[in-house]
Amino acid sequence: MFGYVRPRQDLLEERDLAAYRAAYCGLCRALGKGYGFAARFLVNYDMTFLYLLRASAAEAAPAGPCWCPARVCGKKTCTLDPGGYETVAACTVVLCVEKLRDDIRDKGFFKGLPARFLNLVFRGAYRRAARRLPAFAALASEQLRALAALEAAESPSIDAVSDAFARIVAGCAGDLEDPALRRPMEQILYQTGRFLYLADALDDLKEDWEKGAYNPLRYRFAVTEGVLSPEDQAYLTQLTDSSVNLAGAALNLLPGRSHHALLENIIYLGLPAVFAAVRAGKFRARAPLFSHRRREREAGTREEAPAKPGNQKKLK
Amino acid sequence: MKDPYEVLGVSRTASDSEIKSAYRELVKKYHPDNYANNPLADLASEKMKEINEAYDAITKSRGSGSGGYQSSQSGGYQGYGGSGYAQVRSYINANQLDAAESLLNTAANRDAEWYYLKGQIAYRRGWLDEARQHYQTACAMVPNNYEYQNALRTVQGGYSPYRQTNYQNNGMDTACDICNTLLCLNCLCGGCR
Repeated sequence: MFGYVRPRQDLLEERDLAAYRAAYCGLCRALGKGYGFAARFLVNYDMTFLYLLRASAAEAAPAGPCWCPARVCGKKTCTLDPGGYETVAACTVVLCVEKLRDDIRDKGFFKGLPARFLNLVFRGAYRRAARRLPAFAALASEQLRALAALEAAESPSIDAVSDAFARIVAGCAGDLEDPALRRPMEQILYQTGRFLYLADALDDLKEDWEKGAYNPLRYRFAVTEGVLSPEDQAYLTQLTDSSVNLAGAALNLLPGRSHHALLENIIYLGLPAVFAAVRAGKFRARAPLFSHRRREREAGTREEAPAKPGNQKKLK
Repeated sequence: MKDPYEVLGVSRTASDSEIKSAYRELVKKYHPDNYANNPLADLASEKMKEINEAYDAITKSRGSGSGGYQSSQSGGYQGYGGSGYAQVRSYINANQLDAAESLLNTAANRDAEWYYLKGQIAYRRGWLDEARQHYQTACAMVPNNYEYQNALRTVQGGYSPYRQTNYQNNGMDTACDICNTLLCLNCLCGGCR
């Protein structure tokens, strides 16, 4: 997905950081076990957040050592929660493959070749995931078509376009039966989906401007040379802050038993920090597909070897 | 019924002052004012009821006075328009947003209340840009309405009543913000009782 939903690691307690690392690696493991080795490359921060959110209603699952393909020798600590990861892994596969299909529809034959290839690679995984969550797969497909129609019509409503995407994200909690759990979770995910769409639109604005591609911000605000005015940037920040507030209010209503501090960190600190980085043009939204080690370092899931005494860098 | 100590998040050996402190924190967190026009207001209200019952149960079992929070819900604002607006408000409060919007769209006169209610519907749907534009129109038409100003301030994303920790320090823009803050402080200090 996008990788925008992540914690502020520098403000996390060691215990919460370890839980985040274990949840990330646990999702990677669940994707591998459920959908084959290639599906491990679909692991991302956004879906780690989804796991933590869904798992927050229960006591924290145990963690244990597991094999990591990014580490030829050695093991990592993973959250061992097969039941909890089942839906999250299926959502991850459905969302990523639907995104590939969307790319195939959007791009020409040659530019869409990588997406076509990956779509073939994940065809079997998608079938299994869609069998697991048929309603969610149908919702994602329908809303992405609605989003494509809005984009083709060059909709100036940032609410309408972000709504189509946010509904898909909110659908990740659609299978929960208890409304006291489902409703706050849907609200958190809806507002997170809105945030994701707007952050991505701002991140891509310059590029879309140069290519002449659709970007809702171009039609909603006065954009000069692919850049929003400081006033419009402040306005957009206030809109995303409102989403953060609504998500936070919903988080308070979750009957949470675990990961609450971690989820608060992601919502109240991580999201605004990411948006500030996007505003400043300093956020690298898309990590290359096979840079697993770099992504691990960014997620704090890679344990660096202790530096040798003579090779230590000076801390600034 | 849930264990009242568990609801308040305190141990059975907690002192009276610790219990009172935990109770006040929870009241601050789930106060109905914090969830005004929030689509999850009903869940917050249930939570508030649960907290009050837990606090009453503990204070009764310990033989001390209750002194629990009494809801200061005013039952909504009255007198802005005819029964049509009252009906729209009741639909909104029941989360029947399509019905509220259909009824609102039949109104011939688009006054400040019309834009405010339109903004409320958009806000509950999560359409925050549209909500903000409607609130701004309502505030421009009737500048001194506290309800409209408060709604606009909420959607502007600055001060958040939900945040328990001071994660972000936003500056105040207008004199109205200062007044609103003073009103909130007054409520927190017991002025709304």
